[in-house]
Amino acid sequence: MPEQQTITLTVNGRVHTKDVATRTSLADFLRDQLHLTGTHLGCEHGVCGACTVTVDGRSARACLMLAVQADGREVVTIEGLKDPAGVWHPVQKAFFENFAIQCGFCTPGFFATAIELLGQNPDPTEAEIREYLSGNICRCSGYQAIVEAVRAAAAAMQDHQRG
Amino acid sequence: MSGTRFVNERMVGSSVLPEEAIPLVEGEARFLNDISFAGMFHVAFLRSQHAHARLARIDTSRARALPGVVTVLTGADLLGKVEPFTSMPNRFSGGQSTQHWLAVEKVRFCGEAICTVVAESRALAEDAIELIEVDYDPLPVVTNARDGERDGSPLVHDTCPNNYLIRRDYQSGDVDAAFANAHLVVKRRFQLGRKQALCMEGRGCVAAWRDGSFKLSMWMSHQLPYVVRHYLAKHLGLSETDIRVVAPQTGGGFGQKASIYPEEFVCAFLALQLRRPVKWVEDRLENMVASTHAREHDIEVALALDAEGHILALQSDIWTDVGAYSTYLWSAGMEPLQTGGLMPGPYQVKALRYTTRGVATNKTPVGPYRAVGRPSASASLELLLDQAAAELGIDPVEIRRRNIIPQSAMPFRNGNNLVHDHVGYMPCLDMALAKSGYPVLRKEQQAMLAKGKLRGIGVACFAELTGLGTSTAVGPGTLLQPGRDAVTLRLETSGKLTIAAALPSQGQRIATAMRQVAADELGIRLDDIACLTNDTGMAPYGFGTFASRTAVFGSGAVIQAAGELRRRILAVAAHIMQTPSEELMLADSVVETVDRTRSLPLRQLAEHSFFSAKDIPSEINQGFEVTAFYDPKHGSFAAGAHVVVVDVDEETGHVEIVRYVAAEDVGRIINPAVVEGQIIGGIAQGVGEALYEQLIYDENGQPRTVTLADYLVPSALEVPHIELHHANTPSGALGGFKGCGEGSIIGALAGISCAVADALRQRGGDIFHFPATPERVLRGLGVALDDAA
Amino acid sequence: MKAPVFDYRAPRSLAEATAILRDAGPDGRVLAGGQSLMPMMNMRIVAPGVLVDINRIEELARLDADGGTLRVGALVRHVDILHSPLVKAGWPLMSEATAYVAHPAIRNRGTTCGSVAHNDPAAEHPSVLLTLGGSVVIASAEGRREVKAEDFLQGLMTTALEPGEMIVELRYPPVRPGTGWAFVEFSRRLGDFALGGAAALLTLRGGVCEEARLTLVGMGEGPVRVTAAEALLAGQRIDEGTAPELFEAAVQLARRAVDPTDDVHAGAGYRRHLAGVMARRALARALLRSGRTHHA
Repeated sequence: MPEQQTITLTVNGRVHTKDVATRTSLADFLRDQLHLTGTHLGCEHGVCGACTVTVDGRSARACLMLAVQADGREVVTIEGLKDPAGVWHPVQKAFFENFAIQCGFCTPGFFATAIELLGQNPDPTEAEIREYLSGNICRCSGYQAIVEAVRAAAAAMQDHQRG
Repeated sequence: MSGTRFVNERMVGSSVLPEEAIPLVEGEARFLNDISFAGMFHVAFLRSQHAHARLARIDTSRARALPGVVTVLTGADLLGKVEPFTSMPNRFSGGQSTQHWLAVEKVRFCGEAICTVVAESRALAEDAIELIEVDYDPLPVVTNARDGERDGSPLVHDTCPNNYLIRRDYQSGDVDAAFANAHLVVKRRFQLGRKQALCMEGRGCVAAWRDGSFKLSMWMSHQLPYVVRHYLAKHLGLSETDIRVVAPQTGGGFGQKASIYPEEFVCAFLALQLRRPVKWVEDRLENMVASTHAREHDIEVALALDAEGHILALQSDIWTDVGAYSTYLWSAGMEPLQTGGLMPGPYQVKALRYTTRGVATNKTPVGPYRAVGRPSASASLELLLDQAAAELGIDPVEIRRRNIIPQSAMPFRNGNNLVHDHVGYMPCLDMALAKSGYPVLRKEQQAMLAKGKLRGIGVACFAELTGLGTSTAVGPGTLLQPGRDAVTLRLETSGKLTIAAALPSQGQRIATAMRQVAADELGIRLDDIACLTNDTGMAPYGFGTFASRTAVFGSGAVIQAAGELRRRILAVAAHIMQTPSEELMLADSVVETVDRTRSLPLRQLAEHSFFSAKDIPSEINQGFEVTAFYDPKHGSFAAGAHVVVVDVDEETGHVEIVRYVAAEDVGRIINPAVVEGQIIGGIAQGVGEALYEQLIYDENGQPRTVTLADYLVPSALEVPHIELHHANTPSGALGGFKGCGEGSIIGALAGISCAVADALRQRGGDIFHFPATPERVLRGLGVALDDAA
Repeated sequence: MKAPVFDYRAPRSLAEATAILRDAGPDGRVLAGGQSLMPMMNMRIVAPGVLVDINRIEELARLDADGGTLRVGALVRHVDILHSPLVKAGWPLMSEATAYVAHPAIRNRGTTCGSVAHNDPAAEHPSVLLTLGGSVVIASAEGRREVKAEDFLQGLMTTALEPGEMIVELRYPPVRPGTGWAFVEFSRRLGDFALGGAAALLTLRGGVCEEARLTLVGMGEGPVRVTAAEALLAGQRIDEGTAPELFEAAVQLARRAVDPTDDVHAGAGYRRHLAGVMARRALARALLRSGRTHHA
């Protein structure tokens, strides 16, 4: 039998303690054991970006991390982006309103990456957005609506900060 | 038609936000891999490491002995129990191929499934795969179409002499005379590599035994649920009524999920045998070799022109490397026939001749993918028009103007026998030129050149046949003619409307579009309309989503069904309200008298008609469920013109798209933002096709691009900002709609190819092989790249 | 694409890690960022018996300067290098090169030491280490050894690391004042492994080149230092007038120094051509950044 370990981690603000096979990726753990299937596997070799989640505040490919490596860490997935009142994150809202989602398979990874970008650079240019998102592949949209959505989210977040 | 017909035009034409995307925003949509059942087993496949070999020995004993493994099957285990896939015959020459679900005796491409393992988890199944021993006796391989058709070439199938899965020789008009009398004859070769759709989500299925009243329920990432159901029944010896097929949330299709493949059918067999649910999810390594590839054309094309640049005749010789098997359902004819037959595009071609071949090779089968055949066809002709213009000393735009089918000549039957009508080729070109400032672009190009910078401009015009009805085959000469689809409209007891159709979405917002059309046709509020598009257990019969047809078929059927449903609603309303139905109208989910003095909410009407049916005579109360089939008969031509500006780095060969202007005729638009996404998304895939994406095989038939690090899908940096404009002409189909899912990739390949060639022409160079990799660009510029230091 | 079974160990100290590695022998494999190793495991290209996850060894996260020498610990991520004012001020070549490494999520996890240990010929960091004259500090249960970059990087994805050993840090000596730097790279898409690239250092004093370094990336076995070109440039007065001819000579030497191979992205001939282009661009940019801003 594959080695099992018990891990404790926080996912979307909730603490979980689970037994997990050591070879299980963080992505498979989130999907199969926590039933958070919003994290999608597009390539399982770190190129497509669909599985990107946030680990301790930084974006990470969930397919390239073992679940056991997330022991003690804080993970945020697409299911955890809403605020406690259930209101969408500005990035979620902007993707929806700008038609930046077509098949939606790549969307969770774009959310994680875009949120990280806006955390570092609240007012990115189109070129900066395109560069930061270049590790996430979208096959449907041609990216234009995604870029517009990130700009819209940036504007909304700045407005919100200005109050 | 009744004078009371109330047509509410508010929804069609507006960028209604897609309610269907909300689960995607929240990470709660259920894709195939998100569906699980208690007791579900997991499936993995052992795939051939050889391109062509006899299977000498398969030993599965160690795999079977691994704890957690349920069963292991080989091809022999399926023989006689299921019917293998034999390609659909076509009207032209070429043999048929038979594909076993798991290879029997021989393997014919790297990645072909040999064994299947069922285990308690996917990881365990993969562990077991590694324990299976296979002895291969390698056979000579065929790795390209031109070699494969030669006499004496190894044969992929003994049933296919010269490896022809299809060959067609077509001629209309006096081509020989046209070439003999031409003022100018130009020729060139065009090669396009192999690529694939690369849906972000691979294929996959969950096959469940006895779910509900069905023997077999299949959740499958697929574009054609009813077609899957038909073939499952046929090949497993079941009745269609025993089977339910559901296409869950699907992560892209682009044609790759429109074919019938072995893996899902093996899973169906397993579910029936094991009486347990089984799941197979195609991983990316599998997807790169086991899901259909596309394109791989080698084309020799020639034009005969008069002194003014009018096309007198078009001739082409086409080789398509269609891979190891004739793709099931569609056949190997897709790419070869469409490339030859649709090459004239938007231009008047009086005399046309082509020989087109689909040659079997020891590679992954080629299947349908966005705009099948036409990107290569269009790029071949557009590049040749540029060449002709240069020789005639006229501008590339001018030669196009002189040959485009004008609206004044429509309906116009072209040399390929297709009738062009309700389409504005010239308006698209005019708009693209005006919006791009074409004359200024040419001046800037010369100014750049003076500074030693290489810039190219491509102008490409295309025609895209969409929404094919019964009078038009899916490919010229193919036997498959899926020309009708149905929609059911049902007014629920709550007064809400359900639209049901078997037209699944892979991201195209089909439900939103049909809701918009229904809202306008019926006068029911958008919020009161739901749409189900993915389940044979609920939907009326339909072929499914492919070939830019769904908006046309779905909307047409909605319009037809809505007419009858409205009549029934108003008839009941007339009885309840004691008012002639001619004096009633339906708007905002309320029936009103035309003088607006009295009203009856639909909810009340529906409840009344169902729960107090005795009040209403049954000849009036006919039931609020209407199914209508729609057949647009002929297809609708959509069109576009793209102007592309590229800068070429003469040192590295890098091509950068610096400007992209597209003008499109997609008919009457249902949802502008959705349409924009379709067009720009198609252009992005065209950027990949023209500059980046290629599936490469070595001389032994080994695939060398099996990861996303080697198969280059454009990112946000490679796809430029697209300036999109519309020059729409409503189609002749119901509602004036056209398809818009495929056209833009045609213009993108052609436009970018022409731009790159135009840049190289500034230095006396040219390029014939795409994608235009840096190496090909430098070679096209005449840079010596021998490996001498 | 699920990783095979392995024995997972997560030591808390270097001593513990090296003890595990000693016992595991050739079966042991260090997991740091995992951005190269995990894909290979998911594809079952590699199947380590013992996976030694060093991410809990805090001392390995050190990024500092010790007597002018930059020390990059085994857990320093690409993102740390990219955002480090220390690195930017003292070893700007490294900052510039790191910007070409993959994409944000990969840079957040992937480590510089891991990149050097992996020694992919198209990777940025092995060439930077070589160009800057750095060294690799290796630990095992037996103790530590420090190996110069040129001795460490032994060829196509091979290094001087022996079974039972692991990298604990990279050391980069101080860069002399007046040194211009450049890292240039050409890849099909930003963040991809390079089709080709070059790293250059030009140390100018009073317009005369005291020392030149030129390394090529993506050209076959691993990073290639073009020592002939370095020798040619050293001692020469390099300015707008002399640079074209000198650099052209260096470019020719660069083209001769490499032995590229064909792959799916480009043929050997293209790569050799690109070696010249990259060398010229790197030298030109390094010259722009050299000497003139510093006093002799």
